[in-house]
Amino acid sequence: MDSSRDDFVIAIRSAFLKKGNKQKFSLLSLILFSIFFLVLGNFNFKIIKFNRTIIKEIIYYSSTIVSLPENIIKNSFNKVSDHFYHYDDYTKIKSNLRELKNKNLEKEIITFENIELKKLIDDYFVEDRQAYAKVLIDKQSPFLRSIVINKGSKNGVKAGMAVYDDIYLVGKIVEVNFLTSRVLLISDINSKIPITIQPTNLQGIMSGLDQKKGQLQYINKEKLINDNIETLLVVTSGIGGIFRSGIPIGEINLADALENNKLVVNFYRNFTQLKYVKISSHRKENNNTDNTDNPEKKKSQERYDQLQNIKILKKKKKIKYEKKIILQSENIKLKKDLNDAQNEIRKKNKELSKNREKSENLKFLELNLLHGHKCKKSLFRSHLYKVGSDEYRACILNEGPIKKN
Amino acid sequence: MININNKKRYFLYKYTPIFLLFTSILNEIDFNLEFKYFSFNFAYILIFYYSLKREGSIGYILIFIAGLFNDVMNGLPMGISSLSYLLLCTVASYLRNITLRPNLIKDWISFLITILALNFITYTYLILFFNYEINYFDQVLNIVGTLLSYLVFSFIFKFYDNLVLGRVD
Repeated sequence: MDSSRDDFVIAIRSAFLKKGNKQKFSLLSLILFSIFFLVLGNFNFKIIKFNRTIIKEIIYYSSTIVSLPENIIKNSFNKVSDHFYHYDDYTKIKSNLRELKNKNLEKEIITFENIELKKLIDDYFVEDRQAYAKVLIDKQSPFLRSIVINKGSKNGVKAGMAVYDDIYLVGKIVEVNFLTSRVLLISDINSKIPITIQPTNLQGIMSGLDQKKGQLQYINKEKLINDNIETLLVVTSGIGGIFRSGIPIGEINLADALENNKLVVNFYRNFTQLKYVKISSHRKENNNTDNTDNPEKKKSQERYDQLQNIKILKKKKKIKYEKKIILQSENIKLKKDLNDAQNEIRKKNKELSKNREKSENLKFLELNLLHGHKCKKSLFRSHLYKVGSDEYRACILNEGPIKKN
Repeated sequence: MININNKKRYFLYKYTPIFLLFTSILNEIDFNLEFKYFSFNFAYILIFYYSLKREGSIGYILIFIAGLFNDVMNGLPMGISSLSYLLLCTVASYLRNITLRPNLIKDWISFLITILALNFITYTYLILFFNYEINYFDQVLNIVGTLLSYLVFSFIFKFYDNLVLGRVD
């Protein structure tokens, strides 16, 4: 018993304290060192923070360099596979473009109305800071879904700023270094985004579920089911002030949600394919109502308002002009369609009369076989009609000679 | 112990584990593949295998640094992966000391117990001190994936070592 205990102690001691030929530190010292690192991580001392930032910067950039060859291979593969789908994509895009052009115009009109309404309720945000960044690292971790971008505090990036891919929400900045920042993706389980479901206007919180989906929490499901809308849109609600309201996130297919008993949001964007992202923060538009005492500020405010109004009017004019052009082109197209339709009708009418004639002839031939002997002129029936004459035809169609009263 | 005449072979034999470890940690395209129900921790497998089979093939300092790199890359608190890796080395080292006749199944079971314990420590630390929310389903899948992959990779590593040393059976 004692000897086995001794063996265990010896083995443990050997594992912890024995240094190999080329090992400069024992395992125990390194384990203690990593615990020391972990403990230090809990304190926010300036020196520790600074060192941590430097280490992170070095690792992020070295990772980018190490990933270069694989990224080249990945990109070339993507390019080749893109070529295969090129033609299909082109035809799809072409048909979509026309639809989108019309939709875009409607959208612009609604946007202006929305801006004016938001101004009325003092909820209109304008972009304060905006920067575009390249995704340096997109590592799939089982713990945290995040990306590292190449903009940091040097470029005015601050923790909490919203990150977009085009107009869609991607995540928010959670860690800022001097030249790089980490973005927590909305697909991460730790990201809690206040959202609104449109058009029901229900509020809730969304957290990540997997790379392409999120899950809604604190939502009254019954209300959604009662409304009975097939596809629901999920946008940010703006509650909490981190994100402005109305940023599109994804959509919910209610049929799927009812099947799985989970309100799952399908994101509009694929976060594994991010290459460039937009970082921006928002502020409320200055109303400057308290500056009315200062005449100069008042004047400049008035000028600013006028400029804004002119801008809006110009845009409205542009929209109306575009609308007019679209209407004109639609008009021309409709006229052409009408012309084509008329030609088609004429063609069809001709065919119809031909068919009618044919059917009449067929009927005549059929009756001729049956009743020909009743109408055909012969030696003994000289009062009948000669074959081929109109009288003969009338007689056949009458299924015999016409009786005279 | 091993008579290696060829310098290139020796170089490959010596530095492949280190190269693999750092590449897997620093590379963007890592081993957490985009399958929904399969992921595995390659670093755990590599460190455990080489600490068990070839003592000192990856230095403890390098493992410690690799852990720090991994933490930075994954956005985890710095030091947590180093601690996990080094504890994994400790277990491997202990097993090596007490084992007279190596057996893959025994190693495999030890590996299972070790990664369960390590993940328990990691999750506890993340949840208690950093308020992380963890998707346990994903983590269980990761543990199972790592465990299953260990068998596959142990064969691959063994085959590679024999190939490099010119001892392919």
